[in-house]
Amino acid sequence: MLLSSYQKPIYSHIRNIVLNHDDADDVLQNTFVKVFQNLKNFKGESKLFSWIYRIATNEAITFLNAKAKRNGNTSNDFQQKQIENLKADTYFEGDEIQLKLQKAIVLLPEKQQLVFKMRYFEEIKYEELSEILGTSVGALKASYHHAVKKIEEYMLTN
Amino acid sequence: MEPFNLENHPKIKTGFTTPDGYFEQFSEKLLSTISQEEKPVISIFARNKKWFMAIVAVLILGIMIPFLNKFSTQNQSLDSASLENYLAYQTTITPEELVSLLDNEDIEAIETDLNLDDAAVETALSGNTYLENYITE
Repeated sequence: MLLSSYQKPIYSHIRNIVLNHDDADDVLQNTFVKVFQNLKNFKGESKLFSWIYRIATNEAITFLNAKAKRNGNTSNDFQQKQIENLKADTYFEGDEIQLKLQKAIVLLPEKQQLVFKMRYFEEIKYEELSEILGTSVGALKASYHHAVKKIEEYMLTN
Repeated sequence: MEPFNLENHPKIKTGFTTPDGYFEQFSEKLLSTISQEEKPVISIFARNKKWFMAIVAVLILGIMIPFLNKFSTQNQSLDSASLENYLAYQTTITPEELVSLLDNEDIEAIETDLNLDDAAVETALSGNTYLENYITE
């Protein structure tokens, strides 16, 4: 029940961070193994949804940082390299504007990227975002607003 | 140039796709991973606990017995020395009383050959005021 409800949205969330399908598959496995192992310790301090998303976010960022380090890059540089290879990726079927948007997003600071992706692509409410990321709704709205401005600038000039 | 307005623009999707049947296969793969991780690890110790306990008990006894023996022997020798010293300094116990506590075996054990001539014997006997009592008893 838990798996059927969450596997697709959590996969999408992870994929938005790591960009590559094989990496997303690995992280999704790790996430659910952790979820099932720790479910007995979950005492309902937050919503189950927020708790699972938090685990998935941490696993994805940790994975990305580790992979970037193995390649001798910062995670931001590594993501930019991934985006450059996106057109040739078997599991990317985006058009010109979708590719352009991905390029615009990857130029944002890490936290701003996360907020934008979770709000714009995943359509997660600010209150839920606040619980997942541990940031106030006000700060999240400001972060999203800045991200949108930068993306619009990029889309216009590129 | 017209500004680009993200909110007004039709929703731009990620463009990411997944292999066919990915999510159906994922569930099976995950359940297999979780059941592998949950396999209990039975240690050799747990499996053969009784034997291990028995072996440990035997080893402990084996180590303790020599120590216990040594300790009890030491006690005996100490006790004998302490006892002798005690008796030597006890002025209330007479030689006659001590002699009465000895049996034939004890006397044989402390027996030594004394090379005495007749003159030495005569001197010892003449100095003993209880000589007549010993003879009549």
